[in-house]
Amino acid sequence: MTEGLRTEEFQVNMGPHHPSTHGVCRFILTMDGEVIISAEPVIGYLHRALEKICENRTYVQCIPVMDRFEYCTSMSCNQVFALATEKLAGMEVSERAEYLRVIMLELNRIASHLIWYGTTALDLGALTPFLWAFREREDVLDLFEMTCGQRLTYNYIRIGGVARDIPPEFIPKCMEFLDKFDAKVDDYEAILTENPIFVARNKDIGVLTPEMAVAYGVSGPSLRASGVRHDLRKDDPYSIYDRFKFNIPVRHNGDCLDRYYIRIQEMRESAKIVRQAIEQMPKEGDVTKRISANFKPPKGEVYSRIENSRGEMGVYVQSTGDTKKPLRVKMRGGSYNQLQVMPELVKGHKIADVVAIMASLDIIMPEVDR
Amino acid sequence: MNRDELITYLTEKFKDKIELLDTGRAEPFFLIKRENLVEFCREIKSDLKLEMDYLCNIGAVDTGERFEIVYDVASVENNIRFDFKLVMEYEGAEIDSVREIWPAANWYEREMWELYGINIKNHPNLKRFLLPDDWNQGNPMLKSWDAPDFIRMPEELQ
Repeated sequence: MTEGLRTEEFQVNMGPHHPSTHGVCRFILTMDGEVIISAEPVIGYLHRALEKICENRTYVQCIPVMDRFEYCTSMSCNQVFALATEKLAGMEVSERAEYLRVIMLELNRIASHLIWYGTTALDLGALTPFLWAFREREDVLDLFEMTCGQRLTYNYIRIGGVARDIPPEFIPKCMEFLDKFDAKVDDYEAILTENPIFVARNKDIGVLTPEMAVAYGVSGPSLRASGVRHDLRKDDPYSIYDRFKFNIPVRHNGDCLDRYYIRIQEMRESAKIVRQAIEQMPKEGDVTKRISANFKPPKGEVYSRIENSRGEMGVYVQSTGDTKKPLRVKMRGGSYNQLQVMPELVKGHKIADVVAIMASLDIIMPEVDR
Repeated sequence: MNRDELITYLTEKFKDKIELLDTGRAEPFFLIKRENLVEFCREIKSDLKLEMDYLCNIGAVDTGERFEIVYDVASVENNIRFDFKLVMEYEGAEIDSVREIWPAANWYEREMWELYGINIKNHPNLKRFLLPDDWNQGNPMLKSWDAPDFIRMPEELQ
């Protein structure tokens, strides 16, 4: 009976309004029956021209614009721009401000990985982890709220320091969170890591080889899951990351399951860093820096990069030296390269696997479209 | 290789094809010639002392007088990082694609083509990217670009 049957290639549009695309992203999938032959991402739905907006703002005004670049980890966006401007202007940051930055960056990494954990499980059909993750994320957001009044776009890390000192109740609250957090991560692992359905959906799916990962500029946890030990916090230390003891988890299969393991482990490592930072932090000191309304960094250009929860986040800033606004701000986010490599990963898989792969690469669209 | 060793190594290796710029504030910043781009990139990637296997970023800059294309490269293997750029006039703005060397360049170049109108030679996929499909207002990242609802920062505040 199968003799007369033939299959024809056809195209499926996945998105832009698909809940698993974490923003608005469209895939044009060319299918042979149930199997994907090729995929083409169509992006730009969230393009807000942030780079153009930055060219028309002063350096200080650029910081809140950067918040919108990658809103899951606004602290990192603030940090990377502040770092670039400080390099341009040759500015020093006070000791206490550096510690506050590290505390905020790592708490933000935890919050971002919690979003990833929750949505990954949700995309694969499990609702409980999502509720659990957002419960703990709430505690982190409360900490941010008491520090800077914001829960999503913080505008906290400023050029030369931070916006304001932490309130006295911050440290006890933070310690309370850290004390219970490790047990919570155990819970997260208990419900997913050994879960046969979850493992079946992720094991050997979307295998990214180390060569391909480096060639496509994939960074962060997705790169480390492919067996490349590369973490900018260790390899190109910025701020004061060289003062802390923490591990870099590395796995070698490069599939969705390994990317999952890495991020789970990273949450524990981040909690360790926060703990050390709180212990080592000088008890008092100036944390803010007054930036003159006429602030003009000298002529120069710099590309600064940091390790964000989604990989290398970088910003290129060029200053002409005679105006208060940057000549050019080019933003680089980890998701951009992760999305670029996706068509290679989904080949030969089924549509349901696209969801698993996208979730495991932790792509969010504002960072891609800017 | 530290910063000074890297500068010495690169200037000795490429001699008159490369020039160290003083605008670089952190990592060394070099100026190369447009016609040497592909050869230079291939060379820094295959040289075992450098092995610049990782392309961090490509960005175009419109200075108001000419274009600059900035490449930020790194080596995961050797843990080195530096930047280089090339300059060109608006007239006949065109560069070679480096996608064959670093596949990551694909989207960066496509973006440059769309937002700046710089032509990319040997690029297979130059079509609408970030802007809407029916966009007809030119290349918005150019300094000379204007639109009725685009408000610039007033001169006296700059």
